[in-house]
Parts: sequence; structure tokens; C-alpha cells
Amino acid sequence: MMQIFRIAHREYMENVKTKGFWIGIIVFPILIWMMIELPKFLEERGIPTRHIVIVDRSEGLGEIARQRITLLNRQKTLGELQQHMAKATEEQRKEQMEELDIDPDQLLDQLEQGLDQLGNPDLEIQPFKPDQLVKIGDLLPEQMLLNDLQWNNIKKLLLSQLPDDAAEFIEPPLRFKEVSLPEGTSLTDGNQQIEDALRPYLRSEMMLKSGDEEVELFGLLIIPEDALEPESRVRFWSSNLADNDLIDAVLASLSEEARQQEYDRRGIESKAVAEVASMKVRSIKFNPNKSEGDEKVGIRDKIRQYAPIGFVYMLWVAIFTIAQMLLNNTIEEKSNRLIEVLLSSVTTTELLLGKVLGVAAVGVTMQCAWIGSLIGILSYKAGPSATWIADLIAAVITPELLGGFAFYFITGYFFYAFLFAGIGSICNTIKEAQNFMSPLMLLMMVPLGTMTFIPNDPNGAIATTLSWIPPWTPFVMMNRMAASPPASEIYGTAIMLLISVVAVFWLSAKIFRIGVLRSGQPPKLLELFRWLRGSHS
Amino acid sequence: MNMTTSPIELNHVTKTYGEFKAVDDISFTVPEGTICGFLGPNGAGKTTSIRMMLDILRPSSGTISILGARRALDVRSRIGYLPEEKGLYKKMTATAMIAYFATLKGIAGGEAKRIAGELLEKYGLGSFQNHKCEALSKGMGQKVQVLASIAHDPDLVILDEPFSGLDPVNQGVMEEVIQDIRSRGKTILFSTHVMSHAERICERVVIMAAGRLVFDGTVDDAKSLLPRRVRVKGKGAGAALEQLKDVTHSSPSSDGREGVVEFQLREGSDPQQLLKCAFDRSISLEVFEVVDPNLHEVFVHLVGEDAREAAYR
Repeated sequence: MMQIFRIAHREYMENVKTKGFWIGIIVFPILIWMMIELPKFLEERGIPTRHIVIVDRSEGLGEIARQRITLLNRQKTLGELQQHMAKATEEQRKEQMEELDIDPDQLLDQLEQGLDQLGNPDLEIQPFKPDQLVKIGDLLPEQMLLNDLQWNNIKKLLLSQLPDDAAEFIEPPLRFKEVSLPEGTSLTDGNQQIEDALRPYLRSEMMLKSGDEEVELFGLLIIPEDALEPESRVRFWSSNLADNDLIDAVLASLSEEARQQEYDRRGIESKAVAEVASMKVRSIKFNPNKSEGDEKVGIRDKIRQYAPIGFVYMLWVAIFTIAQMLLNNTIEEKSNRLIEVLLSSVTTTELLLGKVLGVAAVGVTMQCAWIGSLIGILSYKAGPSATWIADLIAAVITPELLGGFAFYFITGYFFYAFLFAGIGSICNTIKEAQNFMSPLMLLMMVPLGTMTFIPNDPNGAIATTLSWIPPWTPFVMMNRMAASPPASEIYGTAIMLLISVVAVFWLSAKIFRIGVLRSGQPPKLLELFRWLRGSHS
Repeated sequence: MNMTTSPIELNHVTKTYGEFKAVDDISFTVPEGTICGFLGPNGAGKTTSIRMMLDILRPSSGTISILGARRALDVRSRIGYLPEEKGLYKKMTATAMIAYFATLKGIAGGEAKRIAGELLEKYGLGSFQNHKCEALSKGMGQKVQVLASIAHDPDLVILDEPFSGLDPVNQGVMEEVIQDIRSRGKTILFSTHVMSHAERICERVVIMAAGRLVFDGTVDDAKSLLPRRVRVKGKGAGAALEQLKDVTHSSPSSDGREGVVEFQLREGSDPQQLLKCAFDRSISLEVFEVVDPNLHEVFVHLVGEDAREAAYR
């Protein structure tokens, strides 16, 4: 026992001292951080103001499009304003621990009062709470945003509620900006003529004048006179195929207008239509596996159903990174013959167990560091008001899931670790090992492939069948864990898995004993079989 | 230690791999406190035998007793072993490496580190204590490995080809290490195919060839297997002395000296006869030397044919 511990201890210390280990530990949180920060960063810096030319041949439809563009611009500004306020009030919100229930109607009333007060400084207004400042942006109706005066006042009012030491709010650049046609073309020209004239600008071969600046032309929008007729088409020119925000939004507004006109023509009250359209039949879901009175299926249950995917993925990555470590270092010990000295001091079994345990400890350390940094980053980024983190953690930290994860991690790891150590013992180089690894890799890919569809039918025939195949049991059962599979299956597959772990250990120990002392070519399969029958040791 | 048993006892030990007999019915003992050379050409079965002694391999038949135990692992804390192919944990320091192997033999961690430091100091590697093994030269690395195998002060030390790959200076250091161990009353078995080392430091030799034991005894016993030779130089000496009935063979001297003739004598003959004969015939001798056979010659004599066979196998 002492020997196993000593070997495990060395294995652990040596692996923990390597650069690779620390790189692995540090790279993960950096990646997560980047995954969170990069899109935001790109959005902030990456998308410049898009300049567009609008040719309106209809009566008033151009105005609808322009309003929509204004709305897009103001929504972007509002988003930034919300972030700015969230940041400025961060400390205040941290101090104020308890969660406030926000009543949207009451909050909007409070906003109206505030706006009145801007015009009449004598009025006393109720100050906004930090939480309200962050939330209010979500509640503003479109009309408020589209009203220039109200929009400016709202900004002024909200900013006045920030603490004195808050940083100054810098208005972001507009999302879209309309520019006029270049010299030499006029709105009275035909479509063909305008399109031909703008083609080089749209291809970025020429720059368009806008005030004192030279800008790149993002798009050309031509709204025909009969734009609302079914056969008519709005013409949109742009070399950027990815950014459809503008055309999507404009079309949505025009369609709305078309519907509105059609209602009017048919004498239907559009408000009634809106009310009818908002009707919905709702359902309530129950889970028979939950205790009585608690059968209602909520968001937590949804997370719970899918959380195992995360666990399976982590299980898979953990098992194979550390089993790989074990493979490499068995090959190292074998190729420099240290294994022989070791075997003069310890039994093969002690050596095998010591190595497997030592490397497992490395893996567990890495996992803990990853999970710790993940939780750390998420809770830091999300701030104290984010309840979804709590939901997620509450959904994930349940005895079945954690217990299952621990059990399947241990058994799955041992299963593959013994297998890999056995392979390591018969190979002299990583290259030789790869020949043995490729069929094993295929075997290992199966649970990854089934990972996403098993939660849809966790106790179905495929899931049940796969559960009984020992190499896949840990992953598939982990995947099904949240769906409370029948106890007979849980224990049955667990016993089967334990038996196979012992069997793999026995086989590997046998191969290991002969393999580690062998040099030269790895053995043929037939030869391996003979080793196992014991005619060779 | 049980005084009635020898540290190493092999009884009719055989190891077969399928059809192939790697070790074929060998029996020998190594008495306590001796340095025993384990000699044989490549492929003679030395490493296999050593692995069986250490219980890394099991014999197909026969019994082995190590320090009185049937299995070496039962007495592992009293055995030190240096395998033929040497390697180190590249990323470990010299001290850590030696200490690790000592702890596997049951020495406590702190004590093991202290011993490792002392040993490195003693054998001239004091300034390399905290160097990683990958930074050591081959000779230094090998020294570290030897020290790792003896740090727990074992009663029996088994060294497989300890001199291979070492330069003459380091070979000297290695001999010194072996003598040190011997001076503390320990038993040493080392395999080699370089006869000069064995001849210098061994009291006993065991010689194997093609899996079989061809000799087991003291170095003197081994040398007496070959007749002595006499080298003479003198006018007409070669022709005259060749006629003697005790001379079995004559040839130009193997050391290449001009005009020196070498005579091989029948077993048990007295070299003085040649001197007497020369005196009787009034032949004046410039050179008269009695030469004992060296271990190399005994070795070639014993394993000559087998060595060639082994090379082709």
C-alpha cells in the first residue's frame, strides 16, 4: 500500500511540475474569458456605422423605413446605456443584497413622473433604485424611443440618477446612417441608372461623400411605389451578405404597415387582431418521477435534463486527457528502462495502481481548477443579480448528478486508464501506440455522438442498450442520470461496469507484466492472446 | 541474515520462451560478502537470469533463493539493482531521483533526501544535486543511477553491465563504488563482458554461454583451466625446446615481440623444465617468462564456439 502511495505521489508531483499542466490550467479560463469577452469586444470595435442610400418611390413608406432605422440606432444606444448604468451602479447593487421585485407598470409611471420633473424642476421625484435603472431599459416602449424629445429626456434623466463618481457616458456611433446619392445622380433617375451609378460604391471601389467625411457605402435600398403589393419587391443592394439586420427590420416594418392597411381596407379593427393574435394555449408539464406535489416541470428541470450533457463532455475530456498522460508516461518509463528498476522494488500490480492513481490525482486537480475558474468567471461576469447562475448551480448540484459524476468518473477513468497503461506497456514509442489507439478512439467517439440525442429519449431502447456496453456505460448512464432511469438499470450497469473494470485491470496487469520488459516490435494480436493465456509469463 | 544460506542460490533454473530456452538448467551460489562476476557473451541469458533472481520474471522450472527468501520482493529492501539499459526520469533532479528509489525501498522521505545528498557529494556530483537528470552527461547519469540502486544500503547488489558506456575514468569510479560496497561486507553480483574489470575486482566468476552455465568458481580456478605458457628468446631456443614432451604448442609470442617464442605446456607441467633443458643444451636465454592465462583467454576458451553461435542467433 505504501509503495502504491509513493509511486502515485511521484507521478503526481512530476506531472504537476510540468509546463503542460500549468498551461492546461491557465488556458482554460482564458478561453472561457475570451469566449465571453470577444464577441462584445468585436461588437464594440468591429462594426462601424453602416452607411446606406434610401431611394423612396412610394408615399410615406420611406419614412417607415427611416423610423425603423432610428429605432435600431436608439436600441443600440440604449443597450450601451444599460451596460453603462449596470457598471456604474455595480457596487451599490452589491451592497443591496436582497432581490427587488420590479413592477413594470409602476416603474414606467415613475419614469413618466421623472420626465415631467425635467420640465418642471420644482417637482419632487422618487429616485430610481440601482436595480430599476438597470431594468428600465428593457421596458421602454418603442414610441418613447422614437420620440426625439422623450428619448433625449430619458437619457438625461437616467444619467442624472447615477452616482456622482460614475464615468461619463459616451454615445456609441450610430448603427446605420442614411447618406444622400452621390453627385451626378438624382432621385428622379430610374432604378437601373441609380444602381449602375452606385455599383462601384457598393463594391467599395469608390468612397461616398457624407458631409466632410468619405465613407464606405454599405447598402442601397429602393422602395418601389407599390411596395405593399404582393407582387412588388423591395430592392436591396449590398456586398455584405452576412449583416441582414437592416433589411430584416425594414421588411418587418413594411409588412406590419401592409397588414395594417389591409385590416383597414377590410374594416377589421387592428387592435382586436393584435389581441386575438396574442392568444395562446399554454401547457403545464409534470414529471411522474418527482415527489408528489412537486411534479411541476420548471426551468430548473429543463436545465437538469440537459446539464448531464455538460457532465458527459467533461467526463469524456477528463478521462481521455489523463488516460493519455498515463499512456505517454508509461511509454517513457518503458523506453528508458526505469520500469525494470521499479519492478525490482514493487510488484507489477503496485506499479500499475500507483501510476493510475497518481495520474488520476493530476486529472482531478485539473478538473477542480477548471470548474473553479468557470464558476468564478461566470459569477464575476454575471454579477450578483444574475439568478440564472444560481439556477444552474442548483440544478446541477444534486446528489444524483454529482454522485453519478463521481462514480462514473472513477470507474470510467479506471477502465480506460488500465487499458491505456496496458497499451503503453507494449509500445516503445508514441507512434507505435497510435496504431493501437485508432480503433480505441473510434470506440470512444460513440458516446460523444449519442450525447445530444439521449436526453430527448433518455430511457429509450438505444440509450438502454448502450448503457449495458461497459466502455460506454459511464458516458451513457451519466447522460441519462437526470431522467431517473430504473434502479435495476442503474445498479445492473454499475455492477457490470465494476466487473469489467476488474477484468480490464486483470488483463492489463498481465500484459503490463510481460510488455514492460519487452523491447523491439510491439506484439501481434495472436501473441497478446498467448500472453493472456499465460503461456508466456 | 540467515548464515546457513548464501545470498544467491539457483537450483536447476530454466526459463523457456515457447521453444526457445533462454536459460537452461543453471545452478550456482554466490557466497556472502563476495564480488561475483557474471560473465557471458551477448544473448547468453545473463539478463534473464538476473531478472529471475529479482523476481521480475518467474523461472519456468527450478528454484531460486535470494537472501534466504523464495521471492526477491519479500526482501526487496535489502536488494539493490541496476539494470542493463540505463535511464533516468529526465525532469527529476539527481537528488530527487535517488531519494525516490530509496523511498521505494522503505527509507523515509527526509532520510532518503539526506542520503542522496551525501552519496552525490561522496562520488563527486555534489554540485549537481539540484540539476535535472536531463542536464547530466551520460557518465554522470549512470553514476546517479548506480547511487539510486544502492542508496538504501542493500545487503545484495546486482548490477547488470555497470561499466557499459562509461569512459575509463568513470569505469574507475564504478570499480571504486563496487569495492566500497564490498568493504562494508555486502555481496555483489555484476554482469559484464569486459573481462579486465572482472579479473581486477572479482573473487568469483560465473560464466554462461547460450543459456547454459559453463563455469562457476574463483578467478584462480578459472585461470587454472588453461595451461600456463612460457615465453623464451634465445638463439635456437624455439627449435630445441619445441621437442620437449611437455610442450603442446609453440607459436610466435602473442605480445608481438620480435623473436620471442611462446610455448604452451601440458597441464601440470613445471615451466622450470624448459629452463633446465635450455641450460643443458647451453642455449643462452635473453627472455624467460612464465605467463598465467588471463580471464579473457579462459572466457574465449570456454565460450568461443557458443559466443559465435549466440552472435548469429
